[in-house]
Amino acid sequence: MRNRLRSLSGKDSLMLWLIALPGVLYFLVFKYVPLLGNVIAFQDYSIFIGIWDSPWAGWKHFVFMFEYEEFMNILRNTLVLSFYTLFFGFPAPLLLALLLNELRQMLFKRTVQTLLYLPHFLSWIIVGGIFINLLAVDGLANRAVEALGGQPVEFVSDSRFFRSVVVLTSMWKEVGWGMIIYLAAIAGINPNLYEAAVMDGAGRWRQMVSITIPSIAPAIVTLLLLRIGNMLDTNVEQILVFLNPLVRDIGEVIDTYVYRVGLLNAQYSFTTAIGLFKSVIGLVLIVGLNHLSKRTTGQGLY
Amino acid sequence: MVTNKSERTFQWINSLFFALLSLSMIAPLIHLLAVSLSAPKYANAKLVVLWPKGFNLDVYETIFGLGALWRAMGVSIWITVIGTLLTLALCSSLSYAVSRRQMRGRIAVLQGILITFIFSAPLVPTYLVIRGLGMENTLWALIVPSALNAFYVLIMKTFFAGISGELFDSGKIDGCSEPRIYASIVMPLSKPVLATIALFHAVTQWNSYFQALLFIRSRELYPLQIILRNMVIEDEASAVVGNMETVQAATPEMMKAGVILFATVPILIVYPFLQRFFVKGAMLGSLKE
Repeated sequence: MRNRLRSLSGKDSLMLWLIALPGVLYFLVFKYVPLLGNVIAFQDYSIFIGIWDSPWAGWKHFVFMFEYEEFMNILRNTLVLSFYTLFFGFPAPLLLALLLNELRQMLFKRTVQTLLYLPHFLSWIIVGGIFINLLAVDGLANRAVEALGGQPVEFVSDSRFFRSVVVLTSMWKEVGWGMIIYLAAIAGINPNLYEAAVMDGAGRWRQMVSITIPSIAPAIVTLLLLRIGNMLDTNVEQILVFLNPLVRDIGEVIDTYVYRVGLLNAQYSFTTAIGLFKSVIGLVLIVGLNHLSKRTTGQGLY
Repeated sequence: MVTNKSERTFQWINSLFFALLSLSMIAPLIHLLAVSLSAPKYANAKLVVLWPKGFNLDVYETIFGLGALWRAMGVSIWITVIGTLLTLALCSSLSYAVSRRQMRGRIAVLQGILITFIFSAPLVPTYLVIRGLGMENTLWALIVPSALNAFYVLIMKTFFAGISGELFDSGKIDGCSEPRIYASIVMPLSKPVLATIALFHAVTQWNSYFQALLFIRSRELYPLQIILRNMVIEDEASAVVGNMETVQAATPEMMKAGVILFATVPILIVYPFLQRFFVKGAMLGSLKE
């Protein structure tokens, strides 16, 4: 029997390749060809001449990038916004999961979970529409401000509030969903640990600090590494909703700039250079952090 | 005794905190509903909070009469259904093949897929590839380029690899070919993972608008999110509604509120059915974020 199975394996392999073919083609066309397409960062690419005949430009676009004041401003905007999103957005789901874990009434807990997950399923257009309405000069938020004796604030058209609006709305939308991974990790902790801790007289707080948090630490480290590795990535769909000419000085980030200048104004080579710069930074961050994490905490992404 | 009391205080505060937080998730939608159902004079005077004043349904009468909105919803349903089917077909076939040891060179294929995790496809060259394929201004541009990613393949491949090898062997002994094993043995066993991927992908497909912004020029191909964007974010309600005089019965704010809810209701309807896949799905999905 074994021999017969083996003699068929050449045919099996061919069959499996045929089954895999559409998926393999997909990865080649939509993931690998664009990676090779990064060469236009070193060209003066013109869509009419094509990638084969466009003239080479060397490092011109990269040099220009760093001499260009606007780009430096955009890079700073991206880093600051990412930092705030990480600083406020990263611990929030973790804290919430720890607190939710302390709720004792199951029905209440389930209802809370259902409502907290809901915004994740709404599009950024809907979430943007809701918050632009609430934060408008004559919106509900400003009526609360007035009721407290303040002056109405232009939350959506004053660039000073742009980052707060982006961080708060992304927390509103994703904080509940972000909780799930931690809740699952908490659910996987061996209950005997808690029983032993109770026997030793440990209270709630002690249990959380000595059992829950150390048990889910690997998940926390992994998620944190991934987040920092993607520091320069922003959520284009979110930013585009809140971006308007009045807040552009603070609100423009790398991804929206590449979209606006690269695709709308057809500066393909220059913005591909920016994109390439971004991926290289991302790669360096991931590899570096992984190395650091492995040396200090003994665990990494790969 | 003291710990018992402080414990109870903590429980109260914690429950109150979560009650308020949950309320903040749903209150904005209730506010919009109340605004859209109120009489224009109250909505204009900003007197509506969570309960409609001067109840009227004119907004919804106008919205339900908008051909552009219904057509856009049809487009969104089409790209969500076809896109999800395409994803399931591509993903399950590729994942099945790379989960089988009989496939020669499968490790190389797997590594090739995993590399795209770290080197994600850059925006501008991807845009040029999609244009080069002639997908511009077709709905294919919204479903084909986003059909697969390494993360989906990894989830499915892991699931398939967990299926008992004896099932494959017995299939072999019965003379099943590889395509037959895939279709008749593996697929029926894989409903949970297929449902999880379908949920992820359908939500993304329904909600995303960036691809449509890049590639769709004709109004009749606009998905719902683009129409919504034009009306609510770009403030071009009149372009969609047509002559604004015909909707004097509603203020622009009321129209926006109504349209936002019109686009939210389909999600609210399927939401309870999606819930059972949440935790499993999010566990698998944690890598993606």
